[in-house]
Amino acid sequence: MKISININSRLKELEVKPNETLLSALRNNGYTEVKCGCSEGECGACLVLLDEKPVNSCQVLAMSIRNKQVKTVKGIGTLYLPHLIQKAFVEAGADQCGFCSPGMIVASYSILKETGNRPSKEDIRRGLDGNLCRCTGYVKIIEAVGMAAEKSLQEETQKPEAVCTNM
Amino acid sequence: MLSENLTWEFPSSAEEAAGLLLRPGALLHAGGTRILKTCPKSVKLLIDTGGLGLDYINFTDNAYYIGSGVTFSEIVKYPAKGKSLPLLQSSLSGAASTPLRNRITIGGSLKDFPLWSSLYAPLIALKARVEILTDKPAIHTVEDYVSSGIIKTKHLIKHLIIDEESGLISGVKKFSILKFQYPAFTIAIALCMKGRMVEDARLVITGVRNRFMRFTKAEEMLKGKTLNELTLEEVHRHISPSFMSDYKFSASYKEKAARIIFMDLFKEIKGGMR
Amino acid sequence: MYKYVNKPAEKIDGLSLVTGEEKFTDDFTYNDMLYVAILHSGYAHAKIEELDESEALKTKGVAGVLSYKNTSSILYTTAGQGYPEPSPYDTRIFNDVMRFVGDNVCAVAAESREIAEEALKKIKVRFSLRNAVLDFEKSESSGIIIHKDDNSHAKIPVYFNPSENLASKVEASVGSFERAFETAPKKLTCTFYTQYASHCAIEPHAAVTWLDSRGRLVIQSTTQVPFHVRRIVSSVCQIPISKIRVIKPRIGGGFGGKQEVLLEPVAALFTWRTKRPAKLVYSRKEVFTSARTRHQYRTVFKAGYDTDGKITALHLDALENSGAYGSHALTVLSNAGSKTLPLLNKIENLKFTGKGVYTNLPCGGAYRGYGATEAYFGLGQIVDMVCQETGEDIVEYYKKWTIKPGETSPVFQALGEGKEGVAMTIGSSSLEECITIGARESQWYEKRKLYSHSTGYNDGRYKRGIGMSVLMQGSAIAEVDMASAYMKMNDDGSFNLLTGATDLGTGSDTILSQIASEVLDIPLSQIVVTSSDTDFTPFDKGAYASSTTYLSGQAVKKCAEGIKKQILKTGAEMLNVKLDLVELKNGFVTSKVGLSRVSFEEVCRYSFYEKNQYQIQASASHVSPKSPPPFAAHFAEIEVDSMTGIIQVLNYVAAVDCGLPINTRLAEGQAEGAIINGLAYALFEDYYFSEKGRLLNDSFGKYGVMTAADIPPVKVFLVSSYEETGPFGAKSISEININGALPSIANAFYNATGKRLFSAPFTPEKVLEALEK
Ligand SMILES: Cc1cc2nc3c(=O)[nH]c(=O)nc-3n(C[C@H](O)[C@H](O)[C@H](O)COP(=O)(O)OP(=O)(O)OC[C@H]3O[C@@H](n4cnc5c(N)ncnc54)[C@H](O)[C@@H]3O)c2cc1C
Ligand code: FES
Ligand code: FES
Repeated sequence: MKISININSRLKELEVKPNETLLSALRNNGYTEVKCGCSEGECGACLVLLDEKPVNSCQVLAMSIRNKQVKTVKGIGTLYLPHLIQKAFVEAGADQCGFCSPGMIVASYSILKETGNRPSKEDIRRGLDGNLCRCTGYVKIIEAVGMAAEKSLQEETQKPEAVCTNM
Repeated sequence: MLSENLTWEFPSSAEEAAGLLLRPGALLHAGGTRILKTCPKSVKLLIDTGGLGLDYINFTDNAYYIGSGVTFSEIVKYPAKGKSLPLLQSSLSGAASTPLRNRITIGGSLKDFPLWSSLYAPLIALKARVEILTDKPAIHTVEDYVSSGIIKTKHLIKHLIIDEESGLISGVKKFSILKFQYPAFTIAIALCMKGRMVEDARLVITGVRNRFMRFTKAEEMLKGKTLNELTLEEVHRHISPSFMSDYKFSASYKEKAARIIFMDLFKEIKGGMR
Repeated sequence: MYKYVNKPAEKIDGLSLVTGEEKFTDDFTYNDMLYVAILHSGYAHAKIEELDESEALKTKGVAGVLSYKNTSSILYTTAGQGYPEPSPYDTRIFNDVMRFVGDNVCAVAAESREIAEEALKKIKVRFSLRNAVLDFEKSESSGIIIHKDDNSHAKIPVYFNPSENLASKVEASVGSFERAFETAPKKLTCTFYTQYASHCAIEPHAAVTWLDSRGRLVIQSTTQVPFHVRRIVSSVCQIPISKIRVIKPRIGGGFGGKQEVLLEPVAALFTWRTKRPAKLVYSRKEVFTSARTRHQYRTVFKAGYDTDGKITALHLDALENSGAYGSHALTVLSNAGSKTLPLLNKIENLKFTGKGVYTNLPCGGAYRGYGATEAYFGLGQIVDMVCQETGEDIVEYYKKWTIKPGETSPVFQALGEGKEGVAMTIGSSSLEECITIGARESQWYEKRKLYSHSTGYNDGRYKRGIGMSVLMQGSAIAEVDMASAYMKMNDDGSFNLLTGATDLGTGSDTILSQIASEVLDIPLSQIVVTSSDTDFTPFDKGAYASSTTYLSGQAVKKCAEGIKKQILKTGAEMLNVKLDLVELKNGFVTSKVGLSRVSFEEVCRYSFYEKNQYQIQASASHVSPKSPPPFAAHFAEIEVDSMTGIIQVLNYVAAVDCGLPINTRLAEGQAEGAIINGLAYALFEDYYFSEKGRLLNDSFGKYGVMTAADIPPVKVFLVSSYEETGPFGAKSISEININGALPSIANAFYNATGKRLFSAPFTPEKVLEALEK
């Protein structure tokens, strides 16, 4: 079946099976930046923004999100135009193997958004409660989100949100 | 895995959905998190509830009406007034994980009552009611909905109704070692106070052998008394939930832990009153 | 002092990782690819009497089935170790005997994963059931032989006796334990248990294989050991090494779990036979059950000591549950002794005895800590017990009795990896300082006193305690492990660095670049790294035994020094000055006399096009004569709810000596990750089995992994020392810090409650049991 979804600000027609998860549909269509660590809703590697809210794409049936907006980590920022959060992750050393990173970035993005760039440490910890990382022990990830929040606050007034410009 | 030979319907009204539900192999789809786990083989038709407009939270006539399509996180974020809703919010804020709460709905969580439910204990403690749509619409208390087996029938859940009780003091606690982990059990306490006197008490635990349990003896004991009149030991004696052992915890450990957590919660509520 | 090492450099692949640009094994898909699914045994011990795949083969879209019927019966070990492997050859790709729930019955390749999975259901298998060994302590006496008449054998001359279910046996002794124990004024005998665990790398194991345009087999897989994969696949699939190329893409964490050749032979065989690309990705459940785990252990410590606390006799007897196959059975066992006993090197009479037994349970393998984690649980508590008895502060005790620079331990020589070890004196250690810093930062003295029994602080329901332990590990396997590197210069003055070293997310690509940068005095951006492609990069034994920074790093350093020499030579020639009068500075060859200089770009252009042309290039290999131990002191402060039995960690402080940290931020990250894994292992991670040997908690949710919402405050202090044999003084850091949580928390528990925990993990029920004793 064909469904249309807005992915990373572009309207896409995806061919999906009626029993297919959003994770599988995305990966099968080249969005391999969305990772699969369990397909049971228990690791967060597959996080995407669905209408600006983070969801486990392995827990969403693709057919149920027709006409909605999906943002993957690349919709938040790209190698060529990285988001503050992504830069903060690298600066803080929150990226070891990086397999959890796409999901972590999505969750972190949402934390900043929900708290207006003013998350408490507890907001950060709770906001990342669906994302497993076995490499970092989370210390530097929590730090990175804090750093990104601070920087975002500083830049809030000066710069609009990063958009995807790679053609 | 769900079968590849599935069709989807996207009805735009509750009535239409209820009608479609009569078809063989039909199943309602809300967040889909449970459906993806259980992958029922018999399903031929998934009826998406996303377009039914059941994503409202209204407050009218001193009661909350929570549409079945409302997600856990929408409830948690709702700027609640009064005393009832905060109990539910407190429980749901600790359910599953942040991204899952964005997906898990009230309807899906009512229809499917897992041992780890974060929803049922507070709802039963709040004497919540559920309005369902079958051939004839009906309203049941959540407790009846489960006990009488209606939960097992085919129907569409329209919304929850939670009365605001101004004299309410309440609390909820789940038992799990990690934040994001299926809780072994959840305990909710709701006391309806008149002055310093307990007018009505609902002490509920879920995750037990029979899914849920009310500590009716303890409830009776509390009624008509002030909280200071009763010693904790007196209440404690009537807290005896019955569990099944699982690989992580023995039944006897869970019983012990449940009693302690119950008393902790009770003390907290009592303390909060002063 | 340094420009590029000993700095918190950003990972060179960092931005690509966090923007989702980097590719992992499962991200590669090729035209006409087959998807492989494996049928696993539901029985713990059974023989396949009949396997009927005809219905599966008839299914539309199925390309083939592999089983014991049509694959070779060559024995090998899945352990990705150097050749000849010290692990027994007791495994076949497919066997007709199932030895644990999760063993491979057969595999199907089909046009899609769904079809492959559907086809699995159509395979009819008739098993004859055998009695299973599910209790490792009873394995030897069970009368059930798990590897009976299957030709299992050891590749090296070590004790291996499958007829007694013994996958390994290690004995070593120094002095005379018996005599010294006999006469010791004080004695202790304690038994400890540690449990199974899953590595839980978030990326599941995967392999993708295809034939290149000349018919060679290409394997892309989630491996820590690309060169061992090439060798082992060649041997079990009977494909010449010259026809195999192994490429390691980005890896989503390993921790030892991917030091195993499990999926590659299966995917490779499908590709080799069908000539089509094939992909095999484990589900999380398969990772939990069919991949490798941490071995379950029982350790018995016997210690004899003087009234002043000097331990005069120590015996560590270890029993290891190897599971159904003996992957790493011998080496994890010997490391349980060799990475722990030298720490207290003043003990004159030492004995280590160990056995690894087969059971019909999931297989152990390499897991961060590698035997040391298992043994430190007991050793760390034994030291605490001795101190409690003599009244000495454990912090002072460790300062006094641990191994110092210039000292040695006879254990280094007595206990090797399947052979004698290598004698070694400690060259570098900042352990004393680590202990001092850790004690200060954790407020050790104040809290230890406050929480002790006499103050009454802990008379209530919630009891607090603080405990500590001291640890060591190793850096590479001395005189066994080899790593190499190759570098060449490009015309803009940049360099290609080709190394066999395997970056699993550890950051070794970055660290190795930093080392090359430092030698050549050029920014990181001028080093283009390619790692782990067996066609292009030189040999490296792979990422294990805490070796990459120390060993591969030294190979890179040597290699870069080779390049430096050539640049200087050509530069001197260009500047027309004597070789000893030029130096490298900031990307230039500069004359020490006068102001003349030439840039790297000019040097390379000259060497390419002008005169005496040659490619500036170098290669280097490195083998270490030592395995210098990193050291650490770990301090845990906990609160015990004596009613529910729940332990909460309030604070964790680790001071670590990893030599000179090449990348301070990544080194901290390694420590933090290991500590959190260690804490979770100490408190709740475990495998639960049904009565029939089936793993019950085979998902992240049921197993339980800490999230950011659960972690306690963790503070890591890197306390540099200088290790002469390592690059710029570096040692290792990746494993050691997983060892501290078990003994530190257990000692904190004693401080809080006066009771001991002998069995990990410290679940609420076990805590209550301990409190009631
Ligand atoms: C990893 C994980 C952890 C979890 N942890 C918790 C937890 O801690 N606490 C907790 O409470 N829950 C938890 N859950 C959620 C819970 O287990 C269920 O998955 C969830 O409640 C189902 O909600 P849903 O909206 O996704 O329902 P769906 O999967 O869409 O549906 C579930 C069932 O409800 C029916 N249904 C859906 N909508 C309606 C309706 N309007 N009327 C009638 N029937 C309907 C469906 O037909 C189906 O039978 C967790 C889930 C996961 C995956
Ligand atoms: S893959 Fe979706 S949560 Fe793990
Ligand atoms: S960085 Fe490896 S899992 Fe998070």
